[in-house]
Amino acid sequence: MFPTPSPPSLISPYPWLKDLKPEERGLYLIHLLITCANHVASGSLENANIALDQISHLASPDGDTMQRIASYFSEALADRILRAWPGVYKAFRSTRMPVLAEEIHVRKMFFEFLPFMKVAFVISNQAIIEAMEGEKMVHVIDLNATEPTQWCALIRDLSARPEGPPHLRITGVHQKREVLEQTAHVLIEEAEKLDLPFQFHPVVSKLEDLDVEKLRVKTGEALAISSIMQLHTLLACDAGGNRSPLAPMKGVGVQFQRAAHTNQGTLGELLEKDMVNGYSPSIDSPSSSPLSSMPSSPKIDGYLSALWGLSPKVMVVTEQDSDHNGKSLMERLSESLYFYAALFDCLESALPRASIERLKMEKMLFGEEIKNIIACEGGERRQRHERLEKWNQRFELAGFGNVPLSYYAMLQAKRLLQSYNCDGYKIKEDNGCVVICWQDRPLLSVSAWRNRR
Amino acid sequence: MAASSSSPFLSLRDENEQPQQQQLLPSAAAAPPSAAPANKRRRNQPGNPNPDAEVIALSPKTLMATNRFVCEVCNKGFQREQNLQLHRRGHNLPWKLRQKSTKEVRRKVYLCPEPSCVHHDPSRALGDLTGIKKHYSRKHGEKKYKCEKCSKKYAVHSDWKAHSKTCGTREYRCDCGTLFSRRDSFITHRAFCDALAQESARNLNPPSLSSIGSHLLGLSQHDQMNQGALSSHDILRLGRPGQQYETLVSPGGFHPSPRGLFLHPNHDHDHQDHQNQSPHSAMLPNKSSLQSLMQLPQLHMNNTANTSSNSSAAGLFNLSFFPGNNNNAASTIDGGSHHSAAGYDSTLFSSGNLMSIAIPSLYSTSQAMQTPSGGQMSATALLQKAAQMGSTATNNGGASSSLLKSFGKSPDHHSFGGSGVYGGSNSGSGNHLHDLMMNSIAAAEGGSAASMFEQAEMEEYRGFHGGNSNSQQSGFSSLEQAGRLTRDFLGVGEIVRSVREQQQQQSGMEHLGSLDLQGKTTSHTQPFGGRSFQ
Repeated sequence: MFPTPSPPSLISPYPWLKDLKPEERGLYLIHLLITCANHVASGSLENANIALDQISHLASPDGDTMQRIASYFSEALADRILRAWPGVYKAFRSTRMPVLAEEIHVRKMFFEFLPFMKVAFVISNQAIIEAMEGEKMVHVIDLNATEPTQWCALIRDLSARPEGPPHLRITGVHQKREVLEQTAHVLIEEAEKLDLPFQFHPVVSKLEDLDVEKLRVKTGEALAISSIMQLHTLLACDAGGNRSPLAPMKGVGVQFQRAAHTNQGTLGELLEKDMVNGYSPSIDSPSSSPLSSMPSSPKIDGYLSALWGLSPKVMVVTEQDSDHNGKSLMERLSESLYFYAALFDCLESALPRASIERLKMEKMLFGEEIKNIIACEGGERRQRHERLEKWNQRFELAGFGNVPLSYYAMLQAKRLLQSYNCDGYKIKEDNGCVVICWQDRPLLSVSAWRNRR
Repeated sequence: MAASSSSPFLSLRDENEQPQQQQLLPSAAAAPPSAAPANKRRRNQPGNPNPDAEVIALSPKTLMATNRFVCEVCNKGFQREQNLQLHRRGHNLPWKLRQKSTKEVRRKVYLCPEPSCVHHDPSRALGDLTGIKKHYSRKHGEKKYKCEKCSKKYAVHSDWKAHSKTCGTREYRCDCGTLFSRRDSFITHRAFCDALAQESARNLNPPSLSSIGSHLLGLSQHDQMNQGALSSHDILRLGRPGQQYETLVSPGGFHPSPRGLFLHPNHDHDHQDHQNQSPHSAMLPNKSSLQSLMQLPQLHMNNTANTSSNSSAAGLFNLSFFPGNNNNAASTIDGGSHHSAAGYDSTLFSSGNLMSIAIPSLYSTSQAMQTPSGGQMSATALLQKAAQMGSTATNNGGASSSLLKSFGKSPDHHSFGGSGVYGGSNSGSGNHLHDLMMNSIAAAEGGSAASMFEQAEMEEYRGFHGGNSNSQQSGFSSLEQAGRLTRDFLGVGEIVRSVREQQQQQSGMEHLGSLDLQGKTTSHTQPFGGRSFQ
């Protein structure tokens, strides 16, 4: 599947390149990437082309970490450049056929070989269990029900709790029916084994078009919402003139609707005006004064309001903790360089260089994210990761109050990371939220919220 | 599987509109079919109760009564009516054995008398009397039987017996030597055991985690390859509440050799940085790399003949900008690569050609190789180093030659280099080099700039540049930048000297974060086709 690597300098006009030590090569690559991005940002394409050409002689998807990172970033930059010719771009991508099975497989590998998902599951489940103490009817909503492992573990724990198992309902949201069916099958089997009264309710829907009515939250049941690396995609709906109407939601103030309309503009206009920030100017909302620095984003705020309206007992959110939503390309480039460098280092420590799984993860998971962050704008740029503080602000604005994660949850997470036997992973606590880091670079954050008022 | 289970979901959703009873039941897709032997009582599939079964609700007393049939003569109790009848024969009382009725017997289902129980609902009734009795004792009854070895209590006698058979047959031993019969206490102990902590610190070959939990998840099947495997996964089970993540732990068992970055023998380098042998100091790259780079300036000064007082490195560059050499060298390298590269290569990488000569000489004279052990720095470390180089160079009185700092800081300077690297602006040696470079470019220009833009693959660009002059100029500026590019990169010497003075690590993040556009002032800044790519 992957082409056999040819040493970069084999037919290169720059024979001196192969004398570069890996460290120098790495530094040079960083330099070239930034140079190229600057050129791209200012529109000097031929310079960007030169830089990309130089990069091509040094970078390689199966070289060392920096070489791999450079190859994906340079691909992203090239993608960005190519979008200047929409016809060429579309033609170039016209025969692309994403294979669902491969995508699922890659996510499974991400779950297995890197600890992030597992730690998120462990902490989320613990927060849910603690919130549901004493509850007899528990309803859990999973905003992206691809990995049933989390709920299998929850089923096991709930059936083992001293006061006896509750009646458990899980509602899974996903775009694809097949994925939900697979999840349902696994979970139902697990519940049957343990004699836990269980129901699975699939909701086939895109996240941004989710209608909360479909979630069928009943009165009298204790609700938990779990979102793992999903909410940031909703930030894309505010930029880029996405005209999809807000899903009918309870409790959405009129001001949100108004803001949504002011946001709209065509993608072309955005490019023309060199305006990436599609946020409308901040509107007067009751609690906006401490948040005046943050642009208002009606879609996500409305969404969170709707979730708030469901009165969950606990909402556990896992998000990437890095600012990839900057207005300028250079901001995003530098932040994402650090972030993905750390992720690629994680992979380096987890799998050997020749590993196909690693190559696939780098290409199909991280490479695609990088491409999205660097090359796309507006509504297409869905990987809008933001820092934990910003998310916390948003949640508070929507009426949620933080539930500090318990010491026990953190302990379990620590043990889990220790089992990976890799010194790079660190876990730290930040105002009640848990952040998983690689060498002091925060990567993933987990936090729990409940209705404040 | 997907196809077969699609219908239950559709039906489930439709059923939601139907009466309450149906709603509680999950799909039947997962349930196994009835047993093979035809004479065995057909079990209802869970979720589909027999609609015409007779529902029997017994009181707790009746349910728990052990001997329901009592002889009126001697008050002896019997569990079965048949036994009572036979006993009555002994008293010469009239007795009659009930025959199995000929007609089809009506199925009976039983309810749990406890109102809060799920089985209290007729749609979830149990089909077996013994079953409901056991269920009631287990869930709502008092646990009267206790295991001798452990402290587990049971309400149902048979459960208790079954447990005592297996209890204690599995023993756990911690690495520190303590024995445990109970899994949960073993786990708790392991979590805090000192010996374990030391072992994991020493452990170079990471254990592949067992898939003890993973079989439940259908995850990877990697075997336990190391001794430590059992321990490391057991660590995670801190008793029942902790059970949840035992099953989550199976990272595919794949940790390849070592904290990989360093212990890979690097074929390119004979020497290793001895200070960095510990695998767990994988992330001390800055120190080691600093040390390694520190050797450079001394070498610079030793080897190169300085034409300018300011910079030792400048001397290096003097070598690099001799156009004649470069052109020849470049043209010979031509084969195989695209022609467009040939022209501008001669100037762009002219320095490179000689760099290749110069640098190895630098390195060969050094006593130790300049790279950290194994020559593998992690990407994170490289970024920090790059940013650090940027920051320190800037702090050196405005010499913003560095890779990264320059972008945000000096709008009035050229795009990358800022003022001359070497302690001055364009006067003096800087200018000299500058002129030299321009000359070389001019000389090569006949081939280079034009060739760059006349190549087939470059034609698209031309259209947007409005003529040759523009393109030449832009080519020029890009060459200039590129030249400075390489120059800056090689300006390691200057930077490293200052780095040594500033040992502490600066967070590169803020520096990188300060990148913005103002640094770009190339002559050719016309946005491409009216759009910018920002």
